[in-house]
Amino acid sequence: MAIAVFFIAAAVAILGGVGVVSFHQPIRSVLSLVLVMLALSVIFLLLGAQFVFAVQIIVYAGAVMVLFLFVIALLGPARELGRGRLRYQGWASAVFVLVLLGLMWTMLQGVQYRQPDKTDLNFFGTVQSIAVGLFTTYLYPFELTSILLLVAAIGAIYLSRKRIDESEGGPAEGLRPSAGVGGNLPPHQT
Amino acid sequence: MSTLNIGGSQLDASWFLLLSAVLFGLGAIGVLVRRNPLVILISIELMLNAANLTLVAFARQLENIEGQLFALMSMTVAAAEAVVGLAILVDIFRVRDAEDIDDLSELRG
Repeated sequence: MAIAVFFIAAAVAILGGVGVVSFHQPIRSVLSLVLVMLALSVIFLLLGAQFVFAVQIIVYAGAVMVLFLFVIALLGPARELGRGRLRYQGWASAVFVLVLLGLMWTMLQGVQYRQPDKTDLNFFGTVQSIAVGLFTTYLYPFELTSILLLVAAIGAIYLSRKRIDESEGGPAEGLRPSAGVGGNLPPHQT
Repeated sequence: MSTLNIGGSQLDASWFLLLSAVLFGLGAIGVLVRRNPLVILISIELMLNAANLTLVAFARQLENIEGQLFALMSMTVAAAEAVVGLAILVDIFRVRDAEDIDDLSELRG
């Protein structure tokens, strides 16, 4: 049963990955990536990672991918031009990736698995066990990620702010007093 | 070889690692071949997901929760990376049309 689930999920994930690379419209690539993430979440569940499974679906397939879709909707349907500027880029990258895969394959043959720790697999990967790890041993990195998210949020706000028009030297359109609520509104007509 | 007993059936840990390697390779192909900066970001997300699969697979094989914790950290980093990358992309698109990432090579590097 678990073997069948694994192979179906793996086939869906690989098909989705091929779709990410080969579709010419970015929106189809994003939807293929959502497929990959859902298949991977099933595999996480097989591996006993319940909390990572939930986070993968809610945060990754939900929030991050909606962000990508939003940006694609904002930028309009951009079709990709067929050819690159470098002549043999496709072949060179295919050779590079094949070498990379061969390297990983050979490393997989000689990998020495450590003897597993003797933990209770019924408790493994639950929210409780994740929380015990996050809030005791790894409390400091956990707090550091909050700073990372704050920095990313501030950076995104800074990058996408409304530009002050340098040529006029005045405040931007949205900052003028006339545009605000307390500005000189036209007289109310009844 | 290390077999994992999942729901009564025996799965090999290297299957998960192999799937992860294939997905990582696909993401690398996407970064190298595609020209649209948005699709390059999507391929980077694919590679990050493949790395997450490796972390979770080793966490299960070692029966140690730390791999899953690191996968959660890497998801946070991936979310931050996507936010900043997309903000930069929107900022570039506001000034000029950048359907090909080679159009942005101003420095002739």
